[in-house]
Amino acid sequence: MSNNLAIRRMSATPSAFIPLDSLRSNAPEYAKLVDISKCIGCKGCEVACKEWNDLKVEPTANFGSFQSHEDLSSNTWLLMRFNEVEVDGDLLWMIKKDACLHCEDPGCLFACPAPGAIVQYTNGIVDFNQDKCIGCQYCVTGCPFDIPRFDKATKTVFKCNMCIDRVDAGLEPACVKTCPTNAISWGTKDDMLALADQKIETLNRRGYSKASVYNPAGVGGTHMMYVVPHGDRLDDYSLPTDPTASPAPMTGLSFLKRAAVFLFNFSVVGTALHFLRYGQTHVEEHE
Amino acid sequence: MSSESLLGRFTYVERVVHCVVGGSFVALLVTGLAFSYPSLFWLTALAGGGPAARVLHPWIGTVFGVSMVCMLSLWIRDMFLDRDDWRWLGAVKDYATQNHDKVPPAGKYNAGQKVFFWVQGVLAVVFVATGLLLWMPERFESGLLSVARLLHFASTMGGGLLLIVHVYLGTIAYPGTARGMIDGKVTRRWAALHHPRWHQDQSL
Repeated sequence: MSNNLAIRRMSATPSAFIPLDSLRSNAPEYAKLVDISKCIGCKGCEVACKEWNDLKVEPTANFGSFQSHEDLSSNTWLLMRFNEVEVDGDLLWMIKKDACLHCEDPGCLFACPAPGAIVQYTNGIVDFNQDKCIGCQYCVTGCPFDIPRFDKATKTVFKCNMCIDRVDAGLEPACVKTCPTNAISWGTKDDMLALADQKIETLNRRGYSKASVYNPAGVGGTHMMYVVPHGDRLDDYSLPTDPTASPAPMTGLSFLKRAAVFLFNFSVVGTALHFLRYGQTHVEEHE
Repeated sequence: MSSESLLGRFTYVERVVHCVVGGSFVALLVTGLAFSYPSLFWLTALAGGGPAARVLHPWIGTVFGVSMVCMLSLWIRDMFLDRDDWRWLGAVKDYATQNHDKVPPAGKYNAGQKVFFWVQGVLAVVFVATGLLLWMPERFESGLLSVARLLHFASTMGGGLLLIVHVYLGTIAYPGTARGMIDGKVTRRWAALHHPRWHQDQSL
Protein backbone atom coordinates (compact mmCIF):
# COMPACT_ATOMS: atom_id res chain seq x y z
CA MET A 1 0.00 0.00 0.00
CA SER A 2 1.34 3.42 -0.91
CA ASN A 3 1.56 6.30 1.48
CA ASN A 4 -1.96 7.64 1.20
CA LEU A 5 -1.50 10.13 4.03
CA ALA A 6 0.96 12.27 2.07
CA ILE A 7 -0.22 15.88 1.99
CA ARG A 8 -1.87 16.93 -1.24
CA ARG A 9 -3.16 20.36 -0.25
CA MET A 10 -2.67 22.49 2.83
CA SER A 11 -4.78 25.53 3.71
CA ALA A 12 -3.27 29.01 3.47
CA THR A 13 -0.21 27.76 1.60
CA PRO A 14 0.51 27.68 -2.14
CA SER A 15 -0.45 23.99 -2.17
CA ALA A 16 -4.04 24.98 -1.42
CA PHE A 17 -4.36 25.98 -5.07
CA ILE A 18 -1.47 24.05 -6.64
CA PRO A 19 -1.83 20.51 -5.23
CA LEU A 20 1.40 18.63 -4.65
CA ASP A 21 0.54 16.03 -7.27
CA SER A 22 3.59 16.30 -9.48
CA LEU A 23 5.70 14.69 -6.74
CA ARG A 24 3.98 11.35 -6.79
CA SER A 25 2.88 8.61 -9.12
CA ASN A 26 -0.75 7.60 -9.11
CA ALA A 27 -1.57 7.04 -5.45
CA PRO A 28 -5.09 5.63 -5.23
CA GLU A 29 -7.92 7.91 -4.17
CA TYR A 30 -10.52 6.35 -1.93
CA ALA A 31 -14.24 6.97 -1.77
CA LYS A 32 -17.34 5.97 0.10
CA LEU A 33 -20.41 5.11 -1.94
CA VAL A 34 -23.73 5.48 -0.13
CA ASP A 35 -26.55 3.59 -1.84
CA ILE A 36 -29.60 5.39 -0.48
CA SER A 37 -31.92 2.73 -1.94
CA LYS A 38 -30.42 0.15 0.39
CA CYS A 39 -30.54 2.23 3.57
CA ILE A 40 -33.10 0.97 6.11
CA GLY A 41 -32.64 3.93 8.49
CA CYS A 42 -31.19 1.93 11.39
CA LYS A 43 -28.64 4.64 12.32
CA GLY A 44 -26.03 1.99 13.07
CA CYS A 45 -23.55 4.16 11.18
CA GLU A 46 -24.23 7.08 13.56
CA VAL A 47 -23.47 4.86 16.54
CA ALA A 48 -20.34 3.43 14.94
CA CYS A 49 -19.13 6.96 14.18
CA LYS A 50 -19.63 8.06 17.78
CA GLU A 51 -17.94 4.94 19.12
CA TRP A 52 -14.92 4.81 16.87
CA ASN A 53 -14.19 8.52 17.14
CA ASP A 54 -15.00 8.52 20.86
CA LEU A 55 -17.43 11.42 20.54
CA LYS A 56 -19.56 12.36 23.52
CA VAL A 57 -23.21 11.43 23.29
CA GLU A 58 -25.58 14.39 23.24
CA PRO A 59 -28.91 14.03 25.03
CA THR A 60 -31.64 14.12 22.39
CA ALA A 61 -35.38 14.69 22.48
CA ASN A 62 -38.18 13.67 20.16
CA PHE A 63 -38.95 16.50 17.79
CA GLY A 64 -41.47 14.70 15.66
CA SER A 65 -39.10 12.83 13.39
CA PHE A 66 -37.32 9.50 13.27
CA GLN A 67 -34.11 11.50 12.97
CA SER A 68 -31.83 11.16 16.01
CA HIS A 69 -30.53 14.74 16.25
CA GLU A 70 -31.88 17.92 14.75
CA ASP A 71 -28.52 18.90 13.34
CA LEU A 72 -24.86 18.01 13.08
CA SER A 73 -22.64 19.36 15.86
CA SER A 74 -18.99 19.54 16.81
CA ASN A 75 -19.29 16.01 18.23
CA THR A 76 -21.96 14.60 15.94
CA TRP A 77 -20.13 14.18 12.65
CA LEU A 78 -22.71 11.98 10.98
CA LEU A 79 -26.46 12.43 10.91
CA MET A 80 -29.00 10.42 8.94
CA ARG A 81 -31.49 13.05 7.80
CA PHE A 82 -34.97 11.57 7.55
CA ASN A 83 -36.50 13.81 4.91
CA GLU A 84 -40.19 12.96 4.71
CA VAL A 85 -41.49 13.53 1.21
CA GLU A 86 -44.82 12.71 -0.42
CA VAL A 87 -44.53 11.04 -3.81
CA ASP A 88 -47.74 10.08 -5.65
CA GLY A 89 -49.68 10.05 -2.42
CA ASP A 90 -47.14 7.84 -0.66
CA LEU A 91 -44.80 8.89 2.08
CA LEU A 92 -41.15 8.38 1.28
CA TRP A 93 -38.13 8.72 3.51
CA MET A 94 -35.49 10.34 1.37
CA ILE A 95 -32.72 9.59 3.79
CA LYS A 96 -29.46 11.47 3.43
CA LYS A 97 -26.26 10.43 5.13
CA ASP A 98 -25.21 13.92 6.19
CA ALA A 99 -21.46 14.14 6.78
CA CYS A 100 -18.40 15.57 5.08
CA LEU A 101 -18.29 14.68 1.37
CA HIS A 102 -14.49 15.14 1.19
CA CYS A 103 -14.54 17.25 -1.96
CA GLU A 104 -11.79 17.01 -4.53
CA ASP A 105 -11.80 20.86 -4.55
CA PRO A 106 -12.55 21.61 -0.88
CA GLY A 107 -14.24 24.98 -0.39
CA CYS A 108 -13.41 24.84 3.34
CA LEU A 109 -9.70 24.48 2.63
CA PHE A 110 -9.73 27.29 0.05
CA ALA A 111 -11.45 29.61 2.55
CA CYS A 112 -9.19 28.80 5.52
CA PRO A 113 -6.67 31.54 6.50
CA ALA A 114 -4.70 29.43 9.00
CA PRO A 115 -1.74 27.58 7.45
CA GLY A 116 -2.16 23.83 7.82
CA ALA A 117 -5.46 23.92 9.72
CA ILE A 118 -7.11 22.04 6.85
CA VAL A 119 -5.29 19.46 4.79
CA GLN A 120 -6.20 17.13 1.96
CA TYR A 121 -4.30 13.87 1.69
CA THR A 122 -3.42 12.16 -1.57
CA ASN A 123 -6.12 9.59 -0.87
CA GLY A 124 -8.71 12.40 -1.09
CA ILE A 125 -9.57 12.72 2.59
CA VAL A 126 -9.99 16.28 3.86
CA ASP A 127 -9.03 16.67 7.51
CA PHE A 128 -9.08 19.48 10.08
CA ASN A 129 -6.14 20.07 12.42
CA GLN A 130 -7.72 21.70 15.45
CA ASP A 131 -4.31 22.63 16.86
CA LYS A 132 -3.79 25.03 13.97
CA CYS A 133 -7.40 26.26 13.76
CA ILE A 134 -7.94 29.90 14.79
CA GLY A 135 -11.73 29.64 15.05
CA CYS A 136 -12.68 32.15 12.34
CA GLN A 137 -15.25 29.74 10.83
CA TYR A 138 -14.43 30.76 7.26
CA CYS A 139 -14.50 27.01 6.47
CA VAL A 140 -18.15 26.93 7.53
CA THR A 141 -18.85 29.73 5.05
CA GLY A 142 -16.73 28.05 2.38
CA CYS A 143 -18.44 24.64 2.61
CA PRO A 144 -21.24 24.28 0.05
CA PHE A 145 -22.74 21.38 2.06
CA ASP A 146 -22.97 23.09 5.47
CA ILE A 147 -20.92 20.42 7.24
CA PRO A 148 -18.25 21.89 9.57
CA ARG A 149 -19.46 22.72 13.07
CA PHE A 150 -17.89 25.21 15.46
CA ASP A 151 -17.31 24.22 19.08
CA LYS A 152 -17.74 27.25 21.31
CA ALA A 153 -15.75 25.82 24.21
CA THR A 154 -12.55 25.10 22.28
CA LYS A 155 -13.21 27.72 19.57
CA THR A 156 -12.30 25.25 16.85
CA VAL A 157 -14.21 23.50 14.08
CA PHE A 158 -14.91 19.78 13.66
CA LYS A 159 -16.26 17.41 11.03
CA CYS A 160 -16.02 13.83 9.76
CA ASN A 161 -12.40 12.81 9.10
CA MET A 162 -13.37 9.63 7.21
CA CYS A 163 -11.89 7.62 10.12
CA ILE A 164 -8.46 8.58 8.86
CA ASP A 165 -6.73 6.41 11.44
CA ARG A 166 -8.63 3.35 10.23
CA VAL A 167 -8.00 4.17 6.58
CA ASP A 168 -4.30 4.60 7.29
CA ALA A 169 -4.31 1.10 8.79
CA GLY A 170 -5.94 -0.31 5.64
CA LEU A 171 -9.41 -0.55 7.17
CA GLU A 172 -12.69 0.91 5.97
CA PRO A 173 -14.36 3.78 7.91
CA ALA A 174 -16.45 2.71 10.91
CA CYS A 175 -19.80 3.57 9.27
CA VAL A 176 -18.95 1.33 6.32
CA LYS A 177 -17.92 -1.51 8.59
CA THR A 178 -21.10 -1.46 10.63
CA CYS A 179 -23.77 -0.99 7.94
CA PRO A 180 -25.97 -4.12 8.11
CA THR A 181 -27.34 -3.83 4.57
CA ASN A 182 -24.07 -2.91 2.86
CA ALA A 183 -25.62 0.37 1.81
CA ILE A 184 -22.19 1.97 2.25
CA SER A 185 -19.30 0.69 0.18
CA TRP A 186 -15.61 1.61 0.39
CA GLY A 187 -12.83 1.35 -2.15
CA THR A 188 -10.88 3.30 -4.72
CA LYS A 189 -12.78 6.11 -6.32
CA ASP A 190 -12.65 4.39 -9.73
CA ASP A 191 -14.07 1.17 -8.28
CA MET A 192 -16.83 3.08 -6.50
CA LEU A 193 -17.81 4.93 -9.69
CA ALA A 194 -17.99 1.58 -11.51
CA LEU A 195 -20.05 0.13 -8.67
CA ALA A 196 -22.36 3.14 -8.84
CA ASP A 197 -22.96 2.48 -12.52
CA GLN A 198 -23.94 -1.12 -11.77
CA LYS A 199 -26.26 -0.01 -9.00
CA ILE A 200 -27.91 2.57 -11.22
CA GLU A 201 -28.45 -0.05 -13.90
CA THR A 202 -30.15 -2.29 -11.36
CA LEU A 203 -32.29 0.59 -10.10
CA ASN A 204 -33.26 1.51 -13.65
CA ARG A 205 -34.39 -2.06 -14.24
CA ARG A 206 -36.47 -1.90 -11.07
CA GLY A 207 -38.30 1.19 -12.32
CA TYR A 208 -36.19 4.01 -10.87
CA SER A 209 -35.58 5.58 -14.24
CA LYS A 210 -34.09 8.76 -12.77
CA ALA A 211 -31.56 7.02 -10.52
CA SER A 212 -28.20 8.78 -10.57
CA VAL A 213 -24.86 9.10 -8.82
CA TYR A 214 -24.17 12.25 -6.81
CA ASN A 215 -20.57 13.27 -7.46
CA PRO A 216 -20.97 17.01 -8.21
CA ALA A 217 -18.56 18.56 -10.70
CA GLY A 218 -18.68 22.02 -9.07
CA VAL A 219 -16.44 20.72 -6.27
CA GLY A 220 -14.36 18.51 -8.58
CA GLY A 221 -16.26 15.41 -7.45
CA THR A 222 -16.41 14.04 -3.93
CA HIS A 223 -14.96 11.19 -1.91
CA MET A 224 -18.34 10.36 -0.47
CA MET A 225 -20.77 9.78 -3.30
CA TYR A 226 -24.42 8.80 -3.24
CA VAL A 227 -26.53 6.56 -5.40
CA VAL A 228 -29.76 8.53 -5.49
CA PRO A 229 -32.87 6.52 -6.51
CA HIS A 230 -34.87 9.66 -7.33
CA GLY A 231 -32.09 11.54 -9.09
CA ASP A 232 -34.49 14.26 -10.22
CA ARG A 233 -35.36 15.19 -6.63
CA LEU A 234 -31.99 16.18 -5.15
CA ASP A 235 -33.68 18.99 -3.17
CA ASP A 236 -35.84 16.47 -1.34
CA TYR A 237 -32.68 14.63 -0.27
CA SER A 238 -31.27 17.99 0.87
CA LEU A 239 -28.46 17.58 -1.66
CA PRO A 240 -27.50 20.89 -3.33
CA THR A 241 -28.06 20.66 -7.09
CA ASP A 242 -25.09 22.80 -8.06
CA PRO A 243 -22.57 23.14 -5.22
CA THR A 244 -19.41 25.12 -5.94
CA ALA A 245 -16.05 25.39 -4.19
CA SER A 246 -15.42 28.89 -5.54
CA PRO A 247 -18.61 30.99 -5.37
CA ALA A 248 -18.54 34.37 -7.14
CA PRO A 249 -17.83 36.49 -3.99
CA MET A 250 -14.79 34.32 -3.18
CA THR A 251 -13.48 34.66 -6.74
CA GLY A 252 -13.99 38.40 -6.40
CA LEU A 253 -12.16 38.34 -3.08
CA SER A 254 -9.07 36.63 -4.52
CA PHE A 255 -9.03 39.16 -7.34
CA LEU A 256 -9.30 42.06 -4.85
CA LYS A 257 -6.47 40.62 -2.76
CA ARG A 258 -4.18 40.73 -5.76
CA ALA A 259 -5.41 44.19 -6.75
CA ALA A 260 -4.78 45.42 -3.19
CA VAL A 261 -1.13 44.36 -3.34
CA PHE A 262 -0.72 46.28 -6.59
CA LEU A 263 -2.55 49.37 -5.31
CA PHE A 264 -0.59 49.34 -2.05
CA ASN A 265 2.71 49.33 -3.94
CA PHE A 266 1.36 51.94 -6.32
CA SER A 267 0.41 54.22 -3.39
CA VAL A 268 3.73 53.86 -1.63
CA VAL A 269 5.75 54.41 -4.78
CA GLY A 270 3.37 57.18 -5.84
CA THR A 271 3.76 59.14 -2.62
CA ALA A 272 7.53 58.64 -2.75
CA LEU A 273 7.66 59.96 -6.32
CA HIS A 274 5.40 62.87 -5.36
CA PHE A 275 7.73 63.69 -2.51
CA LEU A 276 10.80 63.58 -4.74
CA ARG A 277 9.12 65.75 -7.38
CA TYR A 278 7.34 68.34 -5.24
CA GLY A 279 8.99 68.00 -1.84
CA GLN A 280 7.54 69.52 1.26
CA THR A 281 5.39 72.62 1.55
CA HIS A 282 7.30 74.86 3.91
CA VAL A 283 5.00 77.62 5.07
CA GLU A 284 7.88 80.13 5.27
CA GLU A 285 8.37 79.92 1.52
CA HIS A 286 4.80 81.01 0.84
CA GLU A 287 4.77 84.29 2.70
CA MET B 1 8.77 81.36 17.48
CA SER B 2 6.63 83.15 20.03
CA SER B 3 3.62 81.51 21.59
CA GLU B 4 1.26 84.17 20.15
CA SER B 5 1.80 82.77 16.70
CA LEU B 6 -0.01 79.51 17.61
CA LEU B 7 -3.66 78.66 17.02
CA GLY B 8 -5.64 75.91 18.74
CA ARG B 9 -6.82 73.51 16.01
CA PHE B 10 -8.05 70.35 17.74
CA THR B 11 -9.35 69.96 21.29
CA TYR B 12 -8.10 67.35 23.71
CA VAL B 13 -11.22 65.23 23.11
CA GLU B 14 -10.81 65.43 19.35
CA ARG B 15 -7.18 64.37 19.60
CA VAL B 16 -7.96 61.42 21.86
CA VAL B 17 -10.78 60.23 19.61
CA HIS B 18 -8.63 60.58 16.48
CA CYS B 19 -5.84 58.69 18.22
CA VAL B 20 -8.16 55.82 19.18
CA VAL B 21 -9.62 55.63 15.65
CA GLY B 22 -6.16 55.58 14.09
CA GLY B 23 -4.63 53.19 16.60
CA SER B 24 -7.48 50.71 16.44
CA PHE B 25 -7.54 50.86 12.64
CA VAL B 26 -3.83 50.02 12.43
CA ALA B 27 -4.32 47.14 14.91
CA LEU B 28 -7.21 45.89 12.78
CA LEU B 29 -5.12 46.19 9.66
CA VAL B 30 -2.28 44.18 11.17
CA THR B 31 -4.51 41.30 12.31
CA GLY B 32 -6.80 41.54 9.27
CA LEU B 33 -3.90 41.35 6.82
CA ALA B 34 -2.76 38.21 8.62
CA PHE B 35 -6.14 36.60 7.92
CA SER B 36 -6.12 37.79 4.29
CA TYR B 37 -2.61 36.90 3.19
CA PRO B 38 -1.01 33.57 4.21
CA SER B 39 2.41 35.18 3.74
CA LEU B 40 1.48 37.69 6.47
CA PHE B 41 -0.02 35.12 8.86
CA TRP B 42 3.03 35.63 11.11
CA LEU B 43 1.56 39.03 12.02
CA THR B 44 -0.88 37.16 14.28
CA ALA B 45 2.13 36.64 16.58
CA LEU B 46 1.87 40.34 17.43
CA ALA B 47 -1.57 39.65 18.87
CA GLY B 48 -0.48 36.51 20.72
CA GLY B 49 -1.07 33.89 18.01
CA GLY B 50 -3.80 32.98 15.51
CA PRO B 51 -6.64 32.12 17.91
CA ALA B 52 -5.91 35.20 20.05
CA ALA B 53 -5.86 37.41 16.95
CA ARG B 54 -9.23 35.97 15.90
CA VAL B 55 -10.70 36.76 19.33
CA LEU B 56 -9.14 40.23 19.60
CA HIS B 57 -9.85 41.47 16.08
CA PRO B 58 -13.62 41.96 16.51
CA TRP B 59 -13.16 43.57 19.93
CA ILE B 60 -10.68 46.04 18.47
CA GLY B 61 -13.27 46.53 15.74
CA THR B 62 -15.80 47.43 18.41
CA VAL B 63 -13.43 50.08 19.77
CA PHE B 64 -12.90 51.33 16.23
CA GLY B 65 -16.66 51.46 15.53
CA VAL B 66 -17.48 53.35 18.71
CA SER B 67 -14.61 55.84 18.34
CA MET B 68 -15.49 56.33 14.67
CA VAL B 69 -19.06 57.26 15.63
CA CYS B 70 -17.64 59.76 18.14
CA MET B 71 -15.32 61.24 15.53
CA LEU B 72 -18.01 61.50 12.89
CA SER B 73 -20.37 63.26 15.28
CA LEU B 74 -17.64 65.62 16.50
CA TRP B 75 -16.77 66.82 13.01
CA ILE B 76 -19.86 66.31 10.84
CA ARG B 77 -21.04 69.92 11.31
CA ASP B 78 -17.93 71.27 9.62
CA MET B 79 -17.81 68.73 6.83
CA PHE B 80 -20.59 69.78 4.45
CA LEU B 81 -19.20 71.03 1.15
CA ASP B 82 -19.99 74.62 0.16
CA ARG B 83 -19.50 76.42 -3.15
CA ASP B 84 -15.87 77.34 -2.40
CA ASP B 85 -15.14 73.69 -1.71
CA TRP B 86 -16.25 72.65 -5.17
CA ARG B 87 -13.92 75.31 -6.62
CA TRP B 88 -11.17 73.93 -4.37
CA LEU B 89 -11.76 70.43 -5.75
CA GLY B 90 -11.45 71.85 -9.25
CA ALA B 91 -8.00 73.14 -8.29
CA VAL B 92 -6.91 70.01 -6.42
CA LYS B 93 -4.11 69.50 -8.94
CA ASP B 94 -2.61 72.86 -8.04
CA TYR B 95 -2.81 71.95 -4.36
CA ALA B 96 -1.01 68.67 -5.01
CA THR B 97 1.69 70.34 -7.11
CA GLN B 98 2.50 73.16 -4.69
CA ASN B 99 0.82 75.94 -6.69
CA HIS B 100 -0.80 77.28 -3.56
CA ASP B 101 -1.49 80.72 -5.09
CA LYS B 102 -3.97 79.16 -7.51
CA VAL B 103 -5.91 77.24 -4.84
CA PRO B 104 -9.19 78.82 -3.64
CA PRO B 105 -8.97 79.58 0.10
CA ALA B 106 -10.13 76.76 2.37
CA GLY B 107 -12.02 76.99 5.66
CA LYS B 108 -11.24 74.92 8.75
CA TYR B 109 -11.18 71.85 6.51
CA ASN B 110 -10.37 71.89 2.82
CA ALA B 111 -12.58 70.03 0.36
CA GLY B 112 -10.11 67.14 0.14
CA GLN B 113 -10.35 66.60 3.88
CA LYS B 114 -14.14 66.79 3.70
CA VAL B 115 -14.32 64.20 0.94
CA PHE B 116 -11.87 62.04 2.89
CA PHE B 117 -14.17 62.34 5.93
CA TRP B 118 -17.27 61.21 4.01
CA VAL B 119 -15.55 58.38 2.15
CA GLN B 120 -13.94 57.03 5.33
CA GLY B 121 -17.30 57.39 7.10
CA VAL B 122 -19.13 55.30 4.50
CA LEU B 123 -16.32 52.73 4.35
CA ALA B 124 -16.37 52.47 8.16
CA VAL B 125 -20.09 51.67 8.13
CA VAL B 126 -19.56 48.88 5.57
CA PHE B 127 -16.46 47.74 7.44
CA VAL B 128 -18.18 47.51 10.83
CA ALA B 129 -21.48 46.08 9.54
CA THR B 130 -19.81 43.27 7.59
CA GLY B 131 -17.42 42.71 10.50
CA LEU B 132 -20.38 42.12 12.81
CA LEU B 133 -21.66 39.38 10.47
CA LEU B 134 -18.24 37.72 10.36
CA TRP B 135 -17.93 37.95 14.13
CA MET B 136 -20.93 35.67 14.66
CA PRO B 137 -21.08 33.62 11.46
CA GLU B 138 -23.26 30.88 12.97
CA ARG B 139 -26.25 33.23 12.81
CA PHE B 140 -26.08 33.96 9.09
CA GLU B 141 -26.31 32.21 5.73
CA SER B 142 -23.02 31.30 4.09
CA GLY B 143 -23.97 33.13 0.87
CA LEU B 144 -24.39 36.34 2.85
CA LEU B 145 -21.14 35.71 4.70
CA SER B 146 -19.19 35.30 1.45
CA VAL B 147 -20.48 38.67 0.29
CA ALA B 148 -19.61 40.09 3.73
CA ARG B 149 -16.04 38.80 3.39
CA LEU B 150 -15.75 40.47 -0.01
CA LEU B 151 -17.13 43.81 1.23
CA HIS B 152 -15.13 43.67 4.46
CA PHE B 153 -11.93 43.31 2.46
CA ALA B 154 -12.94 45.89 -0.16
CA SER B 155 -13.80 48.56 2.43
CA THR B 156 -10.62 47.90 4.40
CA MET B 157 -8.61 48.09 1.23
CA GLY B 158 -10.17 51.47 0.39
CA GLY B 159 -9.67 52.78 3.92
CA GLY B 160 -6.10 51.46 4.10
CA LEU B 161 -5.07 53.03 0.80
CA LEU B 162 -6.58 56.37 1.80
CA LEU B 163 -4.72 56.09 5.10
CA ILE B 164 -1.40 56.03 3.24
CA VAL B 165 -2.28 59.28 1.46
CA HIS B 166 -3.68 60.78 4.69
CA VAL B 167 -0.51 60.08 6.67
CA TYR B 168 1.77 61.17 3.83
CA LEU B 169 0.00 64.53 3.43
CA GLY B 170 -0.28 65.11 7.17
CA THR B 171 3.34 64.37 8.02
CA ILE B 172 5.82 64.40 5.15
CA ALA B 173 4.19 66.57 2.50
CA TYR B 174 2.82 69.34 4.71
CA PRO B 175 4.99 69.80 7.80
CA GLY B 176 3.23 71.43 10.72
CA THR B 177 -0.03 69.61 10.05
CA ALA B 178 0.45 66.61 12.32
CA ARG B 179 1.13 68.87 15.28
CA GLY B 180 -2.55 69.82 15.26
CA MET B 181 -3.32 66.22 16.15
CA ILE B 182 -0.55 65.86 18.72
CA ASP B 183 -0.59 68.91 20.98
CA GLY B 184 -3.57 70.46 19.20
CA LYS B 185 -1.79 73.57 17.94
CA VAL B 186 -0.74 74.91 14.56
CA THR B 187 1.19 78.02 13.66
CA ARG B 188 -0.63 81.06 12.29
CA ARG B 189 1.57 80.93 9.22
CA TRP B 190 0.54 77.29 8.61
CA ALA B 191 -3.12 78.25 8.99
CA ALA B 192 -2.77 81.26 6.67
CA LEU B 193 -1.36 79.03 3.92
CA HIS B 194 -3.50 75.90 4.24
CA HIS B 195 -6.76 77.20 5.73
CA PRO B 196 -6.92 80.97 5.00
CA ARG B 197 -10.64 81.40 5.70
CA TRP B 198 -10.36 79.60 9.04
CA HIS B 199 -7.25 81.68 9.83
CA GLN B 200 -9.23 84.84 9.16
CA ASP B 201 -12.08 83.71 11.43
CA GLN B 202 -9.59 82.95 14.19
CA SER B 203 -8.02 86.37 13.84
CA LEU B 204 -11.28 88.30 14.34
